[in-house]
Amino acid sequence: MTKIAKGKRPVYLENPQTDKLLAIVMALTGEVSVLHERLDTIERLLEVKGILSATEIEAYEPDAKVTKEREQWRAEYIARVLRVVQEELETLNQS
Amino acid sequence: MMDQQFQHAMLPQPTHDELARQNFVQSLKMHIFRNISPGNKVIYEKLGKPKFEQEHQRPPQNRYEIREVMQHEPYYRWTSALKRINQEMLWDAVNANVDRQLPELIERSKDKGNELGTLTLDPNFQIPTHQKAVDIHCMPGGYHSEFTDDDVAAGATYDRGAYVYGLGWLGPLNDDMGLSIVQNYLLPEYPDFRPRKILDMGCSVGNSTLPYTDGFPDAEVHAIDVGASMLRYAHARAEALGKRVHFSQQNAEHTNFPDESFDLVVSHILLHEIPPPSVRKVMQESYRLLAPGGMMIHVEAPLYRHMDIYTQFIYDWETANNNEPFWSAVRDLDLVPLATEAGFAADKVFEKFVPNGAWKAKVSNSGSQGTWFVVAATK
Repeated sequence: MTKIAKGKRPVYLENPQTDKLLAIVMALTGEVSVLHERLDTIERLLEVKGILSATEIEAYEPDAKVTKEREQWRAEYIARVLRVVQEELETLNQS
Repeated sequence: MMDQQFQHAMLPQPTHDELARQNFVQSLKMHIFRNISPGNKVIYEKLGKPKFEQEHQRPPQNRYEIREVMQHEPYYRWTSALKRINQEMLWDAVNANVDRQLPELIERSKDKGNELGTLTLDPNFQIPTHQKAVDIHCMPGGYHSEFTDDDVAAGATYDRGAYVYGLGWLGPLNDDMGLSIVQNYLLPEYPDFRPRKILDMGCSVGNSTLPYTDGFPDAEVHAIDVGASMLRYAHARAEALGKRVHFSQQNAEHTNFPDESFDLVVSHILLHEIPPPSVRKVMQESYRLLAPGGMMIHVEAPLYRHMDIYTQFIYDWETANNNEPFWSAVRDLDLVPLATEAGFAADKVFEKFVPNGAWKAKVSNSGSQGTWFVVAATK
């Protein structure tokens, strides 16, 4: 059961349905990010050990270098997905 | 960029995927902040402002007039939609973690051992109406709701949520507000000020309270909030960190402490979460509670008169879009007259910008990256 905050939610785009669609797309975007991170962990563990177990994946903690690399990846990934939002601005800046 | 939050015994511990979800929320926030939000200035200068000028033969004169044109700009609406969704995803990502671990966290909160401080809840406590209308900053249940017996969910959600929300900018213990006031203001500017009793109003999880126990080790430190769930967590958190604080469930507008019983009364970003009449009452209560020679310090983000109108417009986004009903009403106030009306002498009331980032100075050579605004007074 998702907890929902009490209070009126503004409508941002043409109608509430379009807003919902964006929320769904962003949730999906988030889940791809989660998936990527998990795969990344598996790949790194495979590389180190050649053996795989769920506990190993759960216990894995990225070091500062990996954390940085992952942040970098997420930043690029988000920029890729949301490129369309910034295109308007780029066009305007070029005008 | 994102330092690690300090893993004390009460902090929820995410699974691999829960943490990945929280990481995504932070990266999305960073992207919006760095790459999308600033574009609204360009949209305003190149599209919004010319449209307004064409229609009115003058530039916009206040934040309302800027909003009037900007609300029709698709770029601004997309920014707002993404910001709002980002905020909803934040609480979702933190709540999933807290709910899974809640029974364990409740157990841990009951393990009192050798207590340093105390917790006093009031079973008859009335949550102020102004807190019940909407859930502040879209955090489901706000600061005050209880979902189960002996609940600590609000506290756990806030502690982790505040860290993820701010990308760790308040430091590993979320304590920068209290720490900066103590380290960058009170100790250097008032080296002889040794408060014996300190009160933190609207303490939430006590994140800003604890630095006062370190800065003034001989002081008796009290902290109040309206939420029982918040306070149970705050108490357990303080105990886990080995700090002595007396938490009680009280409304800062009218506490049960005797007159003149404190030497220092503080609050940290409390004022913008309550309506202006309540801000007045908090000032009056601060005055009543202070002993002669005592000091009041209320910490806030800047007020509207500290900003140009475009910045005001950007700030004002929070009001309707992030469930912050009093955010703008309070930023429109001049807090100095409120303090003098509460009883403080005009020449003893002052506003100040205190350097922030005291937590950073503890771990590196880099310190302040900005300021905390304070309205303060001595009695």
